[in-house]
Amino acid sequence: MSHPRAESADIALLLEGTFPYVAGGVSSWVNQIIRAFPEYRFALVFLGSRPGDYGPAKYALPENVVHLETHYLHDFWGGAREDVPALDGDAEAFARVDALHDLFRAGADTGPAGMSAFHEVARDLMPGGPLTLPDFLHSGQAWRVITERYRKYCSDPSFVDYFWTIRIMHRPLWQLAGIAHRLIPVRCFHTVSTGYAGFLGALLRVSRGLPLILTEHGIYTKERKIDLYQSEWIRDNRNVFQKDPAELSYFRQMWIRFFEWLGRLCYDAADPIIALYEANRQRQIADGAPPARTRSIPNGIDLPRLAALRAQRPADNPPPVLCLIGRVVPIKDVKTFIRAMRIVADRLPGAEGWIAGPAEEDPAYAEECRNLTESLGLAERVRFLGFQKIHELMPRIGLVVLSSISEALPLVILEGYAAGVPTVSTDVGSCRQLVEGLDGEDRALGTAGRVVRIADPQQLAEAALELLGDRAAWRGAQAAGIARVERYYTDTLMFDRYREVYAGALGAAAQGSGDAWRA
Amino acid sequence: MSQTKLGLSALALELGAWAQLAVAGASDQALATYLAAHGGAAALLALFALALLPAGYREPRLPVLLLLFAVIFFIPALGFIGTLGVILLTPWLPRLKTPAGFGSVELPALDPHERIGGAGFRQPGMRGFLSNATAPVATRLRALVSLQNIPTRLASPLLRDLLADPSEDLRLLAYGMLDSREQKLNRAIHRELRNRKEAADAEVAARSARKLAQLYWELTYQGLVQGELLRHAVGEALRYAQEALAADPADANLTLRLGRLLHAQGRNDEARKAYGEALGLGLPATRVIPYLAELAFEARDHDEVRRLLAVLRDWPGMPRLQPVIQYWTRT
Repeated sequence: MSHPRAESADIALLLEGTFPYVAGGVSSWVNQIIRAFPEYRFALVFLGSRPGDYGPAKYALPENVVHLETHYLHDFWGGAREDVPALDGDAEAFARVDALHDLFRAGADTGPAGMSAFHEVARDLMPGGPLTLPDFLHSGQAWRVITERYRKYCSDPSFVDYFWTIRIMHRPLWQLAGIAHRLIPVRCFHTVSTGYAGFLGALLRVSRGLPLILTEHGIYTKERKIDLYQSEWIRDNRNVFQKDPAELSYFRQMWIRFFEWLGRLCYDAADPIIALYEANRQRQIADGAPPARTRSIPNGIDLPRLAALRAQRPADNPPPVLCLIGRVVPIKDVKTFIRAMRIVADRLPGAEGWIAGPAEEDPAYAEECRNLTESLGLAERVRFLGFQKIHELMPRIGLVVLSSISEALPLVILEGYAAGVPTVSTDVGSCRQLVEGLDGEDRALGTAGRVVRIADPQQLAEAALELLGDRAAWRGAQAAGIARVERYYTDTLMFDRYREVYAGALGAAAQGSGDAWRA
Repeated sequence: MSQTKLGLSALALELGAWAQLAVAGASDQALATYLAAHGGAAALLALFALALLPAGYREPRLPVLLLLFAVIFFIPALGFIGTLGVILLTPWLPRLKTPAGFGSVELPALDPHERIGGAGFRQPGMRGFLSNATAPVATRLRALVSLQNIPTRLASPLLRDLLADPSEDLRLLAYGMLDSREQKLNRAIHRELRNRKEAADAEVAARSARKLAQLYWELTYQGLVQGELLRHAVGEALRYAQEALAADPADANLTLRLGRLLHAQGRNDEARKAYGEALGLGLPATRVIPYLAELAFEARDHDEVRRLLAVLRDWPGMPRLQPVIQYWTRT
């Protein structure tokens, strides 16, 4: 399929690992937003890891997407070996890089000095600037900076690992600079995460002086940290004498700091900085977002379309089907759901667990989940359905189950409510707020399910059994869910607020680009 | 009241002494009378002054009294007037101001997290420290990271506690640590299940069953499964242990494991039998008897516990069991 191309657009959406190639909550949200604003022409910039990690597009592109470009940040390995000439590198540019990293090391309190140092280096980084990729990869100056910093700071003895970590970590930045340079003219940028996409947004902001909107669903930096805490590929070469038992391996710390700074640079460039709910807004502030520019806009759903599904539900008891709707990835902690199913299956004959979501994103994890199903003897009771259409799924299930270890404001809970399905969810993100209500008036609507601890299959199973086993409790939860979603979480509320955000950004862009940027 | 009298008497006596001296003129007798009266007045005034001294200056009583007396007696007139003046006037003088610059503040809400559950970083201290949500997150993160270096069996209850911690960073790191430990075992279990399926002959299958029994047991021993999943793991371990034993009934270690699994399921009689068999198959008493004693204890047969542990009394090893043995074999 060839991508649409255009000479210009109104809004460029910067999408890392999501719409249109990955199905999931954020992608659905992006789809919603684009379709809600037919008056704007959107350009999509998709950032992925490697082309092989993604199949064909999971969503049909809306009419008003006039431009789509895809870029893969880790697609540079395995090429033919080329002969590289010896390079000197620009001493001044590398000195600025060195100074910038000193500021990074100093932590969050670098203030305007850190940011203006970043702006300089960002300009150096852009095509035509003195800091080129070949210089980074092969110049004497780069070697000097890397070896000096290794001697000064690295607590891991392996220089080889240090060297390659630095290279792998920083290489995508040049690619992003190239993308920023070549992007078609637009009037404002909207990134739906920090990380690489957020960094691209910051580069665009610095180089073009146009407004950057940030909508953060989960907290990207936090999710990266989860990956990094769990990853086994990061080496720790310290021996027993070099090792401080209370310290993470140096490379792990390096990666964490790297993503923390990508996040901060994006926060610095973006206005407004939008979170889905208050706790995440606070987290953004704690991670360096200027409080005055932050705000919360909760997700909303298309109520009439989903409410129609209630009529299709079986009239008597809810089907004994627990359904986890989400991608099969570690952050959803699908294994806890499977373990809980072991307990449910023992006590509720005929109960089934469905896992409805694409499994391609992390095949190794999906395999582990299947293995666990097998080793718990659940092959008959737990079904991996792959990606499913919500309106086909909802009438056939009894509970929406969320076992995630981290969430923001999950759309599936709201969709379940609208379709008349209560929820059992772990106590993460805004799930408690969705189930029990936020303030007095909201709480008075009742609880729309149960909230349980993370990674606690026993509690999860018991909560589910309690609801499925007690018809009155289930009905009560259903009614509370419907009332809550109708009152607080419709898409019309959300669209109204984004209409303002876009109008504000495009207005600022129209006023003139240069002066909008704080010098 | 009596103090005023003392003071007045002293004054009167002193004045009398001076008046007598003025009237009687310079004779030895007049001087002697004066000295006697002056001495009496000095003694009275010293007593009076002592009573009015601030509490901190009154002790030790006798030396203070002697000092006052000496000052009044040996410095004629001036000693008397001076002492009287100091005693009577000091309370009226403005107090020495305490240095300015100290404002009053509220007591800080001090957090005794360093002291909860004993000192140090031993396991109980660690638990108190980690579960204390008011300690700084960065410090607790470091403590949590250091749990990587202690055995899973000890770390996993601590990590599980942290899954409900208010700090998301801690929660996630604890989850990651637990998950990676569990993942290792589950991967091994899966590998072994596959081996067993593909096993070419009974011997390989039995070996595989033995390993599976071990791995499922490990899940429970390391505290990685809870509740009904724990029961499930014990059940699976038992099933594979029985299968492996069917192929090799003379495996003493596995017989002991079988006993422990039965024991964990509460099938105590069968467990006792298995322990007995393990002993019969040649396992040393030190490895089996503690479990037998545990069974006897659960059956409230304390004499049997004593009898069993007495067998172990003369074994020098087993430092962790020693206190138990000593307790039960006291005479």
